[in-house]
Amino acid sequence: MSNKTITRDQLATLLDRLVEKNRVIAPVSDNRGVVRFGEIQKAGDIAWGFDQAKVPAKSHFLPQTEELYRYDTSGGELKIEPVPPPRPAVIFGLHPCDLKAVAALDPVFDGAFKDVYYLNKRERTVIIGLSCRKVLPTCFCRSYGIEPTDGQGADLMLTEAGDGYYVEILTPKGEALIRDNAPLFSDAGVAEGRRAKDALAGELAGQFQLNVDLTGVKAKVDTMFEHPYWQELARKCLGCGICTYLCPTCHCFDIIESHSGHRGCRLRCWDSCMFADFTLHTSSHNPRSTKKERVRNRFLHKLSYHDERYGLAGCVGCGRCIAECPVNIDITQIIADIEEVD
Amino acid sequence: MGIAENCLMPLPATIQQIIPETSDVNTYRVTLDDPEAMANWRNRPGQLAMMSLFGAGEAMFSISSSPTQRDYLDFTIRKAGVVTKALHSLEVGGKIGIRGPYGNGFPYELMKGRDVLFVGGGIGLAPLKSLVELMLDDQHRADFGKIEILYGARSNDDLCFKQAVLEEWPKRPNCEVWTTIDRAEDTWKGHVGFVPAYLEEVAPKGEGKIAVLCGPPIMIRFVLIGLEKLGFKNELIYSTLELRMKCGVGKCGRCNIGHKYVCLEGPVFNLIQIKELPPEF
Amino acid sequence: MKTVVDNLRREAARLLAGDEVKMVIGYAAGTDAARTTPCFATTPEQAALLTWGPLCANNLVKYLLDYRFEDTRLAVVVKGCDSRAVNRLLQDLQFPRQRLVVLGVPCGGQLDRASILSEIPPGARLQDIEDTGEDLVLVTDKGRLSFPKDRFLMDKCYRCETNMPVVADFLAGEPVPSPAREGFEHTAEVDGMEALDIADKSSFWDNEFSRCLRCTACRNACPACSCKECVFEQAVPGWQQSGIIGSKVNSLPENAVFHLIRMFHVTGRCVDCGECERVCPVGIPLRLLYRKVLKDARILYGAGTPGMSTETVSPLSEFRPDDPEEFM
Repeated sequence: MSNKTITRDQLATLLDRLVEKNRVIAPVSDNRGVVRFGEIQKAGDIAWGFDQAKVPAKSHFLPQTEELYRYDTSGGELKIEPVPPPRPAVIFGLHPCDLKAVAALDPVFDGAFKDVYYLNKRERTVIIGLSCRKVLPTCFCRSYGIEPTDGQGADLMLTEAGDGYYVEILTPKGEALIRDNAPLFSDAGVAEGRRAKDALAGELAGQFQLNVDLTGVKAKVDTMFEHPYWQELARKCLGCGICTYLCPTCHCFDIIESHSGHRGCRLRCWDSCMFADFTLHTSSHNPRSTKKERVRNRFLHKLSYHDERYGLAGCVGCGRCIAECPVNIDITQIIADIEEVD
Repeated sequence: MGIAENCLMPLPATIQQIIPETSDVNTYRVTLDDPEAMANWRNRPGQLAMMSLFGAGEAMFSISSSPTQRDYLDFTIRKAGVVTKALHSLEVGGKIGIRGPYGNGFPYELMKGRDVLFVGGGIGLAPLKSLVELMLDDQHRADFGKIEILYGARSNDDLCFKQAVLEEWPKRPNCEVWTTIDRAEDTWKGHVGFVPAYLEEVAPKGEGKIAVLCGPPIMIRFVLIGLEKLGFKNELIYSTLELRMKCGVGKCGRCNIGHKYVCLEGPVFNLIQIKELPPEF
Repeated sequence: MKTVVDNLRREAARLLAGDEVKMVIGYAAGTDAARTTPCFATTPEQAALLTWGPLCANNLVKYLLDYRFEDTRLAVVVKGCDSRAVNRLLQDLQFPRQRLVVLGVPCGGQLDRASILSEIPPGARLQDIEDTGEDLVLVTDKGRLSFPKDRFLMDKCYRCETNMPVVADFLAGEPVPSPAREGFEHTAEVDGMEALDIADKSSFWDNEFSRCLRCTACRNACPACSCKECVFEQAVPGWQQSGIIGSKVNSLPENAVFHLIRMFHVTGRCVDCGECERVCPVGIPLRLLYRKVLKDARILYGAGTPGMSTETVSPLSEFRPDDPEEFM
């Protein structure tokens, strides 16, 4: 199927229509202007002018708090009940960095042990990507080989063009969505859309203020486990969870008990390697007992471990951690420092 | 989606027997409630399973029974935290959940044809026991050479598996057992002293021999020094590492040492592998 | 401003060179022009990294807690609001006075980073911020933008109680005018909140708490949160074995419990430095909660803002026969 265009109004109609049979997830703004991915009831709920969702799209595939199963132990018996499978979903508005981040999470939850919670949502979700409209001062996705108009990882990729959007059809899932809603899409203006996208890509490429050279960084950082650099860097860290919770590729979780009487459930909750109790043993031994070990682990995970395990970068250059760290721990600075230190 | 397909969902299980080991350690003999699941359960010696206490949480334990024993699973557990306290409050017939097995287990195939020395401290004998019993099992015994076991604990009361260690294993052919406790007691007629010192005293020959150890970190540290002195080769020394785990399947992100996950690539590592790991465990 | 920076660097270098302190905790240039970053200078050369200006909102006193069990002497740079936290830690015996050198800076008000960044046109790069006294000039590669300084002032600075440190061993500059403005009475917003009916009040906070990420940045930045082990992270607290207080569940009841317990815990110890609200990534108006507590303590016990001196006793740390007991 060849690429299409869709007008703004028709896109709104499409999303309104999708709401009838799917959970539709899109960037929404709260009363204080914080944008995150949330379920919408109508296209009008979307924060259309958003630059970057503060909380990334991982919150759909790996919700911050998610029920795993329920149990009942009444009468000395034990019943464990699975939670119902997820409803089909459409997630709209992922920028290229967030698309790439989903790709980075896939192998974590797939593999010899399959995480059905994540994988079922992945399977049943159509991803509609959206090209960036501007490059923020904290964006550095380009250093990770991502262009702000890249559709890789999306089923459909939308780019604003004229009064509507240029629609690239990238997967059979995307094609099926178009086929089911064919009258809303048009073949008119596809060539112009393509040109508008190319022009936007060129313009955005020139807007990057942050660029890092990743050449040799993994090899270098792999030799730096014992380097005093981490101790110095960690001094300023507050040990909060901002960087990890807002990171689109951070996936650490805890499994929590919640019960009342004989009935209860197990919940999976985001957790953070920056928290002191993350690796605390019952014996009170803690292999990562100070901020030094925890900060080192986070950056080694981003710059080496993830790549080592999955052959994919553990950072996508979205810049959320840079924007929100209250003490200005800046991964681009760290990458530069790694290149420099002896 | 069936229960078995979901790697984070436990299988219902029942405590069949509680065997007191020490004042705060019991062995829980457990069967899976679904007979088919029990029949299909396979684990390697040294592998782990996640135990669920409903109302308390989950925790990872090594399976202390021999893999050749297919009717039940043993877990030897000290009362220490929220989950283990809840477990210790249960009686026979109590319901728990089990998921697993996880981890690599001991590579016993690579140990075939060799003599094997086990060094255990306290409750650290639990994972070793699964391998000792596999090797002593009639169907495997001929595959292995001499089996030596050096086991110590803080006190007589802290020795686990007394029946096996003091009565059964020493009577098995080509199997030698040395036991020790840290400080002298009236009730104890055997050797007194720390495990690493006793190892030096017994001085088993290291050449071509496998060593398998598990115990508190301080014991491991000094036993490793002793083993190297006795001529044990790094690649033939196996130890288990312990880290906090939540998922057991390489996703929750907390049991990593460098880029290795102990729940997947461990808990058993040989000394060459341990030396390659960043010192963060 | 330049003199203050020079004085600060000179004194820090002197302290480090003479081995009077092992470390000076101050501010250094950040990775962009609209921020600074905490700096831990351990050599006289590193003292040259220290800076000071209207982008130094972080309360560095929190970092003292990282070194409380060591035996080294430290120096820390404090603004007026931060200095109250020094007094509080001293009062709680969290840090010994003899191991501490307080380097005070006169503060004309701190600027809100987000407000500054919102004025930078897309594609323009902020290169420098010039403080002309009256105006603030945002220097970008696409031109200079001039704004009245008040426009970017942090909300807390409008209500500044003391812009000069209440405790200092060294003052890096002459007193400057307070950024406090008339019409921003300390409790004005709290009064407004109290005037809401109970349903509106409840829905206001339900909305705010439901937005919480549970990242714990508010707690981790708070100098009043000095517990070595937080109640929310106790490994096996007996009373919560059957509950999930302290779990990482993100839900309205859990989040509300976190914030309300924290509010009670810092009562009489919150110095109103505003760090909780500054670091919150989703903009929960946490100071409103804590200022309500300050106001109640003022009305019920006549207590001033904690940390204004080391003489005043926290209202919850002493018993007086005439204490109000309206809840009994």
